[in-house]
Amino acid sequence: MADSRPLQLILARNLLSSLSTPAFLVDADGNLLFFNDAAGALLGRRYEETGQMTADVWTATFGPFDEGGSPIPYDQVPLTTALRGNRPSHGGFRIRSAGGVEHAIEASALPLVGDQNFHGAIVVFWPKGGSAGEGGS
Amino acid sequence: MKAKVWGARGSIPTPGAETARYGGNTSCMQVTLSDGTLLVLDAGTGIRTLGLALGAVEGPVNILLTHLHLDHIQGLMFFAPCFNPDAEIVIWGPAAQDAPLLERIARYISAPLSPVEVRELPCRVSFREAVGSEWQVGPATVRACSVSHRGPTLGYRIEDAGTSLCYIPDHEPALGTPLDDLEDEWISGLGLARGADLLVHDAQYTDAEYPNHLGWGHSSLSDALGFARRAEVGRLLLFHHDPRHSDDFLDELGAEATQRWEADGGRPGSLELASERLDLVVEPTSPRVP
Repeated sequence: MADSRPLQLILARNLLSSLSTPAFLVDADGNLLFFNDAAGALLGRRYEETGQMTADVWTATFGPFDEGGSPIPYDQVPLTTALRGNRPSHGGFRIRSAGGVEHAIEASALPLVGDQNFHGAIVVFWPKGGSAGEGGS
Repeated sequence: MKAKVWGARGSIPTPGAETARYGGNTSCMQVTLSDGTLLVLDAGTGIRTLGLALGAVEGPVNILLTHLHLDHIQGLMFFAPCFNPDAEIVIWGPAAQDAPLLERIARYISAPLSPVEVRELPCRVSFREAVGSEWQVGPATVRACSVSHRGPTLGYRIEDAGTSLCYIPDHEPALGTPLDDLEDEWISGLGLARGADLLVHDAQYTDAEYPNHLGWGHSSLSDALGFARRAEVGRLLLFHHDPRHSDDFLDELGAEATQRWEADGGRPGSLELASERLDLVVEPTSPRVP
């Protein structure tokens, strides 16, 4: 058995799993720990199918991409800004679902700090109007 | 390692004829390490009778507070060693953003709630915050870990002479997601409790009561049993009894818990409901299956 995750991540996952807003959870190293069903609908994969993913794998799989379709370096996405600067961040980019459909989205990242340690971040995202069948900004 | 229950009630003391057998004092356990060193788990009203029973104390008394809800600190200013100038007391508890541990406890041990201020206690007392840390007390290794409850709350694990006791008296590990839907690493406190020879765990609510208390920070019977099963503990002591639960009610709850525990592979005799003055010897145990 593995050790328990930090409580802040456990509670965050519980919260995300009950949200209808697409959202995912990353650890302090940027590894994708969890995404909820709403995010899964947008990404074309359920968390139960993918499991956890390293930062390199999830960015290669789902993006982000810029408006021209070029990959955005991991250290330039809002999520990474939040992780490294320990502050919230917001930005827009494109992601690609498992079926190859691209969505223009906006994303807000909120760092999770507790017990005097930085543990990771919650990232909530939603499609910009007209780019996908659900949500909208 | 030995343990003794001095208070097993949750939330508020419940003196009276209907609670005389399991007891009405709030959370407090005494742990005596293999070399005789004394540890105290929580300072609910049960710590008053512990203090009276102790008499003169040699060496420091380490009090491990899981959190600062009143039912876990209410007995502190009635603990006899606090008023003994020869006594040394070390109080461990969770860190919080708003103030150091001393200041947060002083909110209770100060006017108008108390006639005595912390600085007026005759004993030598110190306060230490224990978050995500592990330290030695005598021959034991003590580990603290944040767990799911309202406000900063710790669980403790004590390992001494090849045996282990895990104490998580206030805990809602299934908040938001059923335990069966979670991998081990996503269950609050599971790493702390894993393989413990004795787990002392919250079981405040029946399964029928729990939906009306979702998010209050406590476990249903099913979640307490499920948590202990997932942690593969050797022995389970159900703790933090709801103030509405009479002795007769707890008898029935205990019978149900025992039946379910053993039907699910628990070793016969390895589950009990905590009751005041219950003495326990923590011995190495194989996992639940006989």
